[in-house]
Amino acid sequence: MSLAERLEAYLSRVWDAPVTVADLSRIPGGASRETYRFSAVANGEARPLILRRDPPGSLIETDRNLEYVALASFHDKVPAPRPVAMEAEGAELERPFFIMERVEGGVAASPFTVAPYGEHAQAIGEGFFSILGTIAAADPATLPLAKVAEAPARDDCWRVALDHWAGVIDADEQHPQPIVRAAIRALRRKPPPAATAVRVVHGDYRTGNFLHDGAGKILAVLDWEMVHLGDPLEDVAWAIDPLWGHFDAGKVAGMLPRVDALAIWSRASGLPIDETALAWWSLFAAVKGQAIWTSAAKEYRDGGFKDPVLAISGWYTARRHDEILAAALMRLEGLS
Amino acid sequence: MTPSLPDILVGNFLCMADPGPPEQQGEFMAGKVGVVALLSLLAAQEAERGAAARAAENAAIRAILDEAAGDYGISAGDIPSTDDMALAALDLVNAALRRALIGLHEAVEARGDTARHHAILRLYARMADLRRLDMPPLPGR
Repeated sequence: MSLAERLEAYLSRVWDAPVTVADLSRIPGGASRETYRFSAVANGEARPLILRRDPPGSLIETDRNLEYVALASFHDKVPAPRPVAMEAEGAELERPFFIMERVEGGVAASPFTVAPYGEHAQAIGEGFFSILGTIAAADPATLPLAKVAEAPARDDCWRVALDHWAGVIDADEQHPQPIVRAAIRALRRKPPPAATAVRVVHGDYRTGNFLHDGAGKILAVLDWEMVHLGDPLEDVAWAIDPLWGHFDAGKVAGMLPRVDALAIWSRASGLPIDETALAWWSLFAAVKGQAIWTSAAKEYRDGGFKDPVLAISGWYTARRHDEILAAALMRLEGLS
Repeated sequence: MTPSLPDILVGNFLCMADPGPPEQQGEFMAGKVGVVALLSLLAAQEAERGAAARAAENAAIRAILDEAAGDYGISAGDIPSTDDMALAALDLVNAALRRALIGLHEAVEARGDTARHHAILRLYARMADLRRLDMPPLPGR
């Protein structure tokens, strides 16, 4: 049975009407979910949709229910796709999946390109950091996400996050990594100030994880699979990590000067930025990255070396983050 | 470090050998070809510089372990060495040396030995630079 036939069987059952699937096509990129675009035709009407299906092996082990509920929480607050259906057990598709509405007419930048936003970098940057601030401004208690995501204490956000990603490295490391180990110890020796507020953390908010219209407007924030509650500075630090800088040291995320980006975020979120806390979360961001790439390398091997996205993640990006971590550790000691 | 150069090159073959179902042709296949091409370019860098980088890293780690041996009770001579310049042989030794370096750094931090702490941080910067892969300037769209 083909994937299209499985989709037809599933949608016909849940919509209680005959459904035909047309133009099913996998979208490149993204190793944590298989992503497909398709149109579901029912009662003479075609609905443009996206299928996000768990792969046999994935870059990060995530809970698809959280991503689905995150979209339900935010699609009416920031540009994000509206969720349509979710099956944690896989149903007719055999692996867990969810379906969301398709946002048409957008492009996503590759993080490894130079100046992908061109003359629209300023406008996209303003939108990018404003949207992130809007996510951080939301009171989690008012969101569907609050029912499924645990809220850490304000002074425990750092420990929960660090324990999680250090544990991923412990579990998946295949070759000793002294640089990230030193960074983890440095983070534990000097924890950050308590979070100003516990808010929704997108978890993978960065260049390449949103669609824009090519004219300066962000159409949809994507890839919410690592969403959780925590210190919103975690997202800020990840978004401005040098890995996502498009090789432009004068801007963050290849969009804006750092000072402008932080000011926009602070205005939109209503939260101050403590530079001491942000420095901690910035070093943490590189540790988290290295943990993700460590898992990618393991999945690449375990999956029989067949997914080249896992290869790039487990190899090139891992080495970039070793450079970033080593430089950050030097700066902490005033050595550079 | 993983994946190794042979992993990457074998993977480039394996991921292209199976064309996949119809829904994985078109844009998805074009994207896959682009990533495989990029991996091949980076693999050329690793083929050219990887063995020398590992030999240099191994020598640098061994030197710092030797220097600290007396103060920290390290038997650096017990760590394997090799004259074989194959990546797999160098990586095997590298894993043992890195494990010893992690142990030394933990001990250095516990003792508050700032001079050696800084020396190890400088070594990390050098290790990361030796292993660097250079992405070509790919234009955005």
